[in-house]
Amino acid sequence: MANLKPGSQNARKKVQVSMVLCEAEERKHRSGVNALQLDPVLDRLYSAGRDSIIRVHEHERFLQSMEHHTDWVNDIVLCCGGRHLISASSDTTVKVWNAHKGFCMSTLRTHKDYVKALAYAKDREQVASAGLDKSIYLWDINTLTALTASNNTVTTSSLIGCKESIYSLAMNPSGSVIVSGSTEKALRLWDPRTCAKLFKLKGHSDNVKALVVSRDGTQCLSGSSDGSIKHWNLGTQRIIQTIRLHTDSVWALLATESFTYVISGGRDKKVIMTDLKNTSNYVIVCVEEAPVLKMCFTADQQAVWVSTFDSSIRCWKLPTDKHFKEELKMPTQPISLIPGGAAIRQAAVLNDKRHILTTDTHGHVALYDVLRARKIEDLGQVNFQEELKNRFKMVYVSNWFNVDLKTGMLTIHLGQDEVDCFSAWVSARDAGIRDTPEPDHKVNYGKLLLQALFEHWRGVETDPENRLYFSVPKHIPLILSEVGGRTLYRVLVGDTAGDTENALLNDTVPNWVISNIEDNCTNKFIKVQFYLQPHSSVPSHLLKQDRMKKPDRLVANDFIQCRKVAEHILEKLLGDGTANSPGCGDAESNTPSNNGYTVDQIELTCNDQVLDPSMDLRTIKHFIWKSSSDLTLYYKIINK
Amino acid sequence: MGANISQLERDIGSEQFPCNEHYFGLVNFGNTCYSNSVLQALYFCKPFRERVLEYKAKNKRTKETLLTCLADLFHSIATQKKKVGSIAPKKFIARLRKEKEEFDNYMQQDAHEFLNFLINHISEIILGMYELVISSERQQNSTTNNIKSKGAGENGTAHNSPEPTWVHEIFQGILTSETRCLNCENVSSKDEDFFDLQVDIEQNTSITHCLRCFSNTETLCSDNKFKCDNCMSYQEAQKRMRVKKLPMILALHLKRFKYMEQYNRHIKVSHRVVFPLELRLFNTVGIFFVLLYDLVAVVIHCGSGPNRGHYISIVKSHGFWLLFDDDQVDKIDASTIEDFYGLTADTQKSSETGYILFYQSRESL
Repeated sequence: MANLKPGSQNARKKVQVSMVLCEAEERKHRSGVNALQLDPVLDRLYSAGRDSIIRVHEHERFLQSMEHHTDWVNDIVLCCGGRHLISASSDTTVKVWNAHKGFCMSTLRTHKDYVKALAYAKDREQVASAGLDKSIYLWDINTLTALTASNNTVTTSSLIGCKESIYSLAMNPSGSVIVSGSTEKALRLWDPRTCAKLFKLKGHSDNVKALVVSRDGTQCLSGSSDGSIKHWNLGTQRIIQTIRLHTDSVWALLATESFTYVISGGRDKKVIMTDLKNTSNYVIVCVEEAPVLKMCFTADQQAVWVSTFDSSIRCWKLPTDKHFKEELKMPTQPISLIPGGAAIRQAAVLNDKRHILTTDTHGHVALYDVLRARKIEDLGQVNFQEELKNRFKMVYVSNWFNVDLKTGMLTIHLGQDEVDCFSAWVSARDAGIRDTPEPDHKVNYGKLLLQALFEHWRGVETDPENRLYFSVPKHIPLILSEVGGRTLYRVLVGDTAGDTENALLNDTVPNWVISNIEDNCTNKFIKVQFYLQPHSSVPSHLLKQDRMKKPDRLVANDFIQCRKVAEHILEKLLGDGTANSPGCGDAESNTPSNNGYTVDQIELTCNDQVLDPSMDLRTIKHFIWKSSSDLTLYYKIINK
Repeated sequence: MGANISQLERDIGSEQFPCNEHYFGLVNFGNTCYSNSVLQALYFCKPFRERVLEYKAKNKRTKETLLTCLADLFHSIATQKKKVGSIAPKKFIARLRKEKEEFDNYMQQDAHEFLNFLINHISEIILGMYELVISSERQQNSTTNNIKSKGAGENGTAHNSPEPTWVHEIFQGILTSETRCLNCENVSSKDEDFFDLQVDIEQNTSITHCLRCFSNTETLCSDNKFKCDNCMSYQEAQKRMRVKKLPMILALHLKRFKYMEQYNRHIKVSHRVVFPLELRLFNTVGIFFVLLYDLVAVVIHCGSGPNRGHYISIVKSHGFWLLFDDDQVDKIDASTIEDFYGLTADTQKSSETGYILFYQSRESL
């Protein structure tokens, strides 16, 4: 039974909120391309990969993108004569798509771990999915495509017996045999019609990552991380031959219709076409720039599209008889190219905990603003470390989000692990907000971002306390998922106002988000404990009794600035006033200076370093005190 | 002399009694057998004893440390007029209790924890002395400062430099952990230094088998995936530990105390694990060659739990075996060692089993 609902809220696992900082239109693959499928009728190429997006191309031209997965897409299968597409992802789901219109029809959540491979039986319109949860599920496509929001349960058969993670899967068009490859180093076979386990084929010495079965289901080819390709006779359960042409793992296989040639690709970046009747007869089709992940024939079967760890997809001419007889040389250039984009490889959160500096596979450096969920500066090909150094600012703000680069784009997670999403308080001035009730008004970054993300879902905000200072672009994907686990719901920020989306969000948005964006969470200010000690130059007659013996122990909000501390010293420690209120942050008054001194004459030091009046306590503690023990500040009077 | 000749001397026979060798028991100061057993084992690890006595000879007037106390104790055993007898390691125990709070009581301690503390502490003392020497040298000659004073564990590159201290020379080996991402198949490896190997044990096996299991491949999967720097995401991975460099003296700690959740405490695992007198080990990284190791000492735990029972040790000296049980010393037959392999049945709670094994490389003998 597959539950197609966004998933009822699991009581045990915490739900996190994430957003992907992508462009309104992502036309190019950002990272490696794991899967390729060709629609021979419309001559369209479907490609999918690590950036979680499935793209459709007509020859070299981008047609559209299909976005709904939240992690790598590992495999895709085109079925029903090209009308539907099935995709398997590391987000643990299998999705059913309307291939022509490009929208996701349903999501199958039966797998419990990454779904790595799909297999298709064309004659029976059956698809099988398998993955790291060691399970194989068989799906009837006509049932899947008939699913609606109300009729959303589907039965599946499972093929049991695999003891380890499955990395490859293949089925023949008539669906009479299904083969799986796994870290068990063996192939396992089932009869999909009866779900009966047939047998196991041993021979490889490492993971089996690619499989092809012949049309009649009597032969099979397997590609392994041991670097070999094995050709099996499924009738006798014997190895016909072992092909060792690659110098590294074999990750992709294709066989010609009649099973006379095999085309293989792998970690050694080579694509090789081998005559199965005489394996010494082979031709190197191409040498790619990165390890080969997948291949697919062009409509005329005269060439192959090749995808790799790199985001570009190239089309290479296949050798003909003349090439095999070495009468002709293979071309060194691809006949077609779908250029890929750059994947972010490194991201550094700046000290303001709002901006992120990134560098990508093309060496470009860019600056992102998390609160606005967009790129704000393209710096081009500059030195990342140098740029990072230049942008160093001595300010300390607590971490309030996690960054993830698995898709080649910036993904920001809120509420993950131990990071408190509501720990970053900054003054409205520092956040760049001008029209605030008061200049010293404190805003919370986590709250601001959550408000912006859920702006359309919650409707117009009337409470002036909770007014929106930032908004995020409507195309930003918002993802609700279990921490370290499965995706519950993905929706674009701009779509959250829709009736269905709204209702689904009502079910999935976790309480920690709702309670915090509605409440004014001022009681959650982070406190810092510190000691105030007079410098030896401070005349003792100025100090209240016992000041020389014992330092004053105070507790204040961590964003309190030195100026406020100086005010407190002036008011409470130097004068006759009583130092009963340690919360010096609350001291708003501008009482006339004591003993004729002014705030400007109080100089604070920490570890012998003079502190700027605008520096806050957390910055001092982090950059100057540099210890987890209680902060100690010294004060003295300077003559101005 | 002849009149009050001890049983031990009689057992060994005056003809056979090795000259320049002393067999002295150590007095128990209330559950200090964890220390006594380890000290006896270490005393009979020849390279270690020699370096400690050498330290004693070279450092006559230094501030009292655990190392000076140990050196005094070893020196006092080695310079006894009598061949056999017992000694009270009073100063050493007093110092130990000062050095580490955990040992400052009269409770039974884990002998392995003590060994681990002692080895690390001694190496730190020696390193501290080197630093003093180096800093004074620097003052004299500020140009020569390429002396390595930091431990080799600081980074991988330091491994080719000579060992920082004689403790490292004797006990330190290197483990390599190799992790292969199952997606991109890149292998990342990391070196770790060790003073002893902690070995998981299985019923009715041998130490050779347990060491082989130590290098078995473990798959990081499900909720325990590996964060691959190349894939920028969590992927399945295969991890294995290999010994890259074997030490002169290989200390094997058999993990006989397993935490059992249902009892909320550590339970002793009395599994029978055969430890041979001669161990063949392979250097598994780089050039393949066989190393021969001889069993020189065993710390034995008697009883049913880590904080109860008793520790004794057996040592090999001049070709025969001796059993040290606090202040008692007896000659034993080599065949008696089998009694300390463990129990084949799990019914009995209490047992006398090998807990820490000291194997010495034949090359160093």
